[in-house]
Amino acid sequence: MTARLLLLLAIGSGGTGCSGPVAVQAWEKGELARPEMRFDAGSLESRMSEQVYPSKEGSSGGTGVGGGGCGCN
Amino acid sequence: MDTPRPRIAPALLAAALALPGVCPQAAAQAPPERAQLDVRWLHYQDSQPGLKRIRVDTPSIGLRVPVAGRWSFEGVTSYDSVSGASPRWHSSISGASRMNDERTAGDVRVTRHWDRATLSVGGAYSSEHDYVSRALSLRASVSTADNNRTWSFGLGRADDRIDPVNRVVIDERRRTTDLLFGVTQVLTPVDIVQLNVTHARGEGYYSDPYKSLDKRPRERVQTAVLLRWNHHFQGPGATMRLGWRAYTDSWDVRSNTLTGEWVQPLAGGWTLTPSLRYYTQSAANFFYGPTYDPTLGEPFPVGYLTDMGALRSPDARLSAFGAATVGMRVAKAIDRSNLVDFKVEYYEQRGEWRLGGPGTGGLAPLRATIMQVGLTHLF
Repeated sequence: MTARLLLLLAIGSGGTGCSGPVAVQAWEKGELARPEMRFDAGSLESRMSEQVYPSKEGSSGGTGVGGGGCGCN
Repeated sequence: MDTPRPRIAPALLAAALALPGVCPQAAAQAPPERAQLDVRWLHYQDSQPGLKRIRVDTPSIGLRVPVAGRWSFEGVTSYDSVSGASPRWHSSISGASRMNDERTAGDVRVTRHWDRATLSVGGAYSSEHDYVSRALSLRASVSTADNNRTWSFGLGRADDRIDPVNRVVIDERRRTTDLLFGVTQVLTPVDIVQLNVTHARGEGYYSDPYKSLDKRPRERVQTAVLLRWNHHFQGPGATMRLGWRAYTDSWDVRSNTLTGEWVQPLAGGWTLTPSLRYYTQSAANFFYGPTYDPTLGEPFPVGYLTDMGALRSPDARLSAFGAATVGMRVAKAIDRSNLVDFKVEYYEQRGEWRLGGPGTGGLAPLRATIMQVGLTHLF
């Protein structure tokens, strides 16, 4: 999966040589407006999911700052 | 707004939920057009063979409202009811102790919106009978003129106070500073990617006061890199959401997390979202497994008497293991203003599922079921 992601990034930035991806115009962004295309979709839901894993695993981070801690045992 | 395919209720709700509305950006800069109320219930139950362990029920309410065109306010409050049994060390059933706890938490955030930038300040508070946490955070984002790239910055500070009932320690503190740097990039009309780097530095009490022999470092430095990619397939109208997180910290815990979701809208306002998650981590450098001193026996690690003050922890969360989650979310858009959803996830953690090295042996697998039901109302 990582390889595919890197491949997509390479393709995305390859369209204009080294200058980054081709600029997507405002009128082409209909699909990007979908809530599932956003990274903060379902914020309360994702927050509650993200609360579970740090209390059962040894890692946290990657999505935000300033969350409240807990004495999760 | 460009809506290429007629789609009844989901399209209307999608349009309503899409925050910038007319001209979508790499990240939302405009305030929400409508207020949003979320009511949600999370139920969590975990177990190991022969023992039902922790059960958590969390009702929560979230509210997000636009204010005076250029501002928005968000607030969330939740209440955790935690009960069950927690092993005193490793996964030993005989050592499990019964526990009951409650946690109330709330946070608020105020955001100022400009045409291509936001600045927000937030505060969070949570309280358990033996643990109180206060946090403040500052976030900012700036988009390019074409709105295809958004830079994000975050700074957070948490001040936690620990007062265990067994008085192993009194009025201990833990202070953490968090930093976030992120970039979100529109690649094509159907691809958007995000890269986040977070860095946290904490000082203070990290030990578990309720676990025998648990003594951890008083400092932890954590770094995570998160890469996410959302791709929309116009044929089936579905969206694939992939994520990879790499994590490392000063305790030598290194982990990788892979996540994948397939969001499939169906007729009649229904949406199905199957999801998968795989997680693997190495052990903290002071973790000791369930191999005990031949003289002292359980729970003393081998050679305990020669170095009684050493850092050590039998907490299985700091062991080497792999974990997998399989989930399914069902959502139904009732009308233009209301959406209900239900999500169930099954989670399992095992030493032998670790990738990139041997997992910790001799620990019982941990299994958990996580259920959420939610109602979103726009007004």
